[in-house]
Amino acid sequence: MKPMVLISTQFITLREIKVEEIDLIEDAWGINSEFCDVIDLLREIEPIPERCLTTNLISKIRKIV
Amino acid sequence: MNKMISDYELILRFIKGEQSCFEKLIHRHKNKVFAYISLYIRDQALAEDIFQDTFLKVIQSVKAGKYADNGKFISWVMRIAHNLIIDHFRRIKQMNTISNDNYESDLFNSKAFAEDNVEDNMIKRQIQKDIRNMISHLPDDQREVVILRHYAGLSFKEIADITDVSINTALGRMRYALINMRRIMVEKNISLTLN
Repeated sequence: MKPMVLISTQFITLREIKVEEIDLIEDAWGINSEFCDVIDLLREIEPIPERCLTTNLISKIRKIV
Repeated sequence: MNKMISDYELILRFIKGEQSCFEKLIHRHKNKVFAYISLYIRDQALAEDIFQDTFLKVIQSVKAGKYADNGKFISWVMRIAHNLIIDHFRRIKQMNTISNDNYESDLFNSKAFAEDNVEDNMIKRQIQKDIRNMISHLPDDQREVVILRHYAGLSFKEIADITDVSINTALGRMRYALINMRRIMVEKNISLTLN
């Protein structure tokens, strides 16, 4: 058997594994891989508040604070 | 390195009198909060009212010292939004009003439309309308999990906390929701391109 040399595998540290955006429970259930077609569709909409709505909210807050 | 100030740090600074810190929090989280409310409630005007009420309530609670940091400011805000939505539906029920489907919201207040041409916009609008309809056809408990996960960005643990169910139940609801949506996609021939 050929011995593994140091450069044959790239090791990563725990810090390099990015899990902030991943829900590990969801991942364990395999939801994203099983339903990627539906989830891709869901990503097509991204409701955002109108600028005036946020502006009004901030002015209300400035009045009460 | 430019490190982002945490939500809690902003809250502390707001309590100490830096009003602009709360405005930063609003700008940071407004899209998620609005997405959750506006997808749950189809009446756009009402969704906007609840959106504003949510942040006003957040301010009251923060000032009353009711926010204890556990690193989950956004899920606390979502819980407040969730409770306001529930209150609204309770009031409607008491008034014997059955449905809010008579209102057609402006479905397309989305940044995705800003840069495309007319034809692309029309296609996108149709697809987005289909997706909105698909979501609105789900049973309430399934719709809520989908919105909280995919538009509010909450984890299943947070969703379980807000909706008072176990993580397994939340996951099960998500699974049923996705199965239902896939069925609707097939039945109505919905895909990312118009056929």
